[in-house]
Amino acid sequence: MNVVITGIGGISAAGANLVEILDTFQSGRRNGGSVSLFPTVLTYPVFEVRNIARKWHREGMRTLSLALCAVEEALGDAGLQDDLSGLRVGICLGTTVASQLNDLEFYRTYRSAGTAAIDAVDRFLKGNLAEAVARTIKVRGPAATVVNACSSGADAIGVALSWLRNGVCDIALAGGADELNLVPLCGFGSLGIVSDSLCSPFDRDRRGLNLGEGAGVVILETEAVSRERGIERVLYLSGYGSAADAYHLTAPRPDGTGLEAALRKALAEANITPRDVCFVNAHGTATRDNDKVEGTVLAGVFGPGIKFFSTKGFTGHTLGAAGALEAVFTAAALRKGWIPASIGFVHQDDEISVSPVTEKTRIHGRFAVSTSLAFGGNNAALVIACAENGGS
Amino acid sequence: MNVAGIGVVFTRGRGIDSYEEALRQGWVPPCRVELSSAPDISLPVYYVAQETITDKAVLRRIRRADRFSKMAVLAAWDAVQDSGIVLEEKGSSLGIIVATAFGPHATTFRFLDDILDYGHANVSPTIFSHSVHNAAASYIAYVLGTRGPTLTLSQFAFSFHQAIILAESWLNEGRCDYVLVGGVDECHTVMEYICSQKLAIADDGKIKPFHFSASPSAVPGEGSVFFLATRTNTPKTYCEISGLFLYGDGIEEAPDMYIFDADGMAGDERGYKDAAATSVMIAGYSPVFGSMMTGSAFHCAAGALMLKHQIRYACPVQDNSCGVNLCAVTESAEIKKIWCVRINCVHEKASIRLKLE
Repeated sequence: MNVVITGIGGISAAGANLVEILDTFQSGRRNGGSVSLFPTVLTYPVFEVRNIARKWHREGMRTLSLALCAVEEALGDAGLQDDLSGLRVGICLGTTVASQLNDLEFYRTYRSAGTAAIDAVDRFLKGNLAEAVARTIKVRGPAATVVNACSSGADAIGVALSWLRNGVCDIALAGGADELNLVPLCGFGSLGIVSDSLCSPFDRDRRGLNLGEGAGVVILETEAVSRERGIERVLYLSGYGSAADAYHLTAPRPDGTGLEAALRKALAEANITPRDVCFVNAHGTATRDNDKVEGTVLAGVFGPGIKFFSTKGFTGHTLGAAGALEAVFTAAALRKGWIPASIGFVHQDDEISVSPVTEKTRIHGRFAVSTSLAFGGNNAALVIACAENGGS
Repeated sequence: MNVAGIGVVFTRGRGIDSYEEALRQGWVPPCRVELSSAPDISLPVYYVAQETITDKAVLRRIRRADRFSKMAVLAAWDAVQDSGIVLEEKGSSLGIIVATAFGPHATTFRFLDDILDYGHANVSPTIFSHSVHNAAASYIAYVLGTRGPTLTLSQFAFSFHQAIILAESWLNEGRCDYVLVGGVDECHTVMEYICSQKLAIADDGKIKPFHFSASPSAVPGEGSVFFLATRTNTPKTYCEISGLFLYGDGIEEAPDMYIFDADGMAGDERGYKDAAATSVMIAGYSPVFGSMMTGSAFHCAAGALMLKHQIRYACPVQDNSCGVNLCAVTESAEIKKIWCVRINCVHEKASIRLKLE
């Protein structure tokens, strides 16, 4: 069964919608800066979203607000903004922050007084991402929030693919969202993998990641449903692969076999070979370990000529949103026929035999891959195709 | 898909045999803990004893893991052992799906302690990495040495239902040959406080699943249940299992028994009356393991045991003010279909259907 992508939407520090984001990609602007969303002594640069549409503002539920911005854009892109009634619509979204009951003020008060106002808990209970989105856009169907750390967004899209193939729903909104939050900022800082300057994915001198925030959403449908709706020009979600490292909570398996397994599974599902892939949108966090493992695997699977890039220099690492935002960027690149420069990259790393593109680059081909690696050793790969020849 | 093995970690022990024994034994009082906010108030809680999750052989390589992960790892490990299936050479064909409503929140609060006590720049990386929701799934893969897809879902009342639906999809697609699918949730002092504020707590320590009350009583619990699921039949197969989100309001095709997840966790339970109004036998075993949003997994384990052994377990708390067709006696019975039904706080229904293969 072919599953098609009929709509995409995204929001990040690079822009409040895809038009703005692609413009930022073309211009090479980097909107990183100091933390303004909460007080902290940490001075790491971060990528904050500046413009959340007022109508989607939800007090104390920033992740949901980000998700709703991307959902609205994706639904509009798919021509579904008006009426979803009568359709079995599934919602599958990845997140990290929105899944955790980690309100610091609630806990500070509880710890000191033994009691605390329960409104932070109420917000948490109302803020399950998939459920909250389903209620906001008034759809009824399966809702699942994927909490797979930094591959959550990509895995959520993979789950939705399985739903559609198995008839669980007719249409699925899939993706991920995460806000910039003090808790992961402290946590990533403690791991010693956050850069004190703007990040440089795959660069020889990279010093770690920058945290960001955002949301990415794709609208997935069975090809039959999209044709009934009269949709002609579509993209395809052709394959999804996922594999565990079974190695370490926070470090990728050095031999990269988990990522390679996920990639080969996704390619096999799409029924293509590595030679068919015209570019890879890499996870590329700019940490020493991730980029070394990922670059080595990309070189091994796709060969020395593979065109690849990381957008984290534009968006920061958006955690549970990352895999989804990057799938959205991959889809947009296939539509537009170009990929952005891997911003921040300057010097080839002797330990990585391939290097990312350093300028806006035209691409020719039908298939592209987006990769995600995560805490816990999760690896995910998505194959997205354009429909030049009428289907995948 | 078929249930080939089951692992359980709960308040009365570990393993499917312990669980079956508890089902036969019926209700026992929960422990009572003093609320830190009000020491004169005690709360009934079904905690898992520390010795239950002390297994030096299985947990040898994950000594630093927290309670949450250890409960999940042991239940998952036991499900594999129970199945008799040797996973060597099958590592990449085994998927893992962990369902949790609240994740490792005790560790999250320990991390917040670090932030408050030591400042933003001096927190523990070890505590942080364990506070991530998917740490338990990662540890399961690590301990079992499996390299297939590994996913954690969090959907409050329907977490386990979504996990079952996905496991079935993965098997149907051929993404995996086996899926370890289960639920895990923990209790903790902060959760005790939240429960005391948000829920009506059963003072007598008894969850009453058949009151169908607008404000039902709960007894917080914790634990983990895992199922080893596969499409093929195995010598130890318990039953078929499938998940279903119910788009309509009704429940079609009556089974031989309904098991209600009515445990006081999701508020208004009057919606269960629809199913209870039929002549179908009704059961509910939450008083054995406590109120948990992932309690559906425990109920599915009870259902799987009943189908496999062709027995009905008496409901542990038989307060039957609504006069439903209650399963009141443990006895042999011919049972082919059991629907486990849960209604969430906005009155949506999902069921997990167990059938004799």
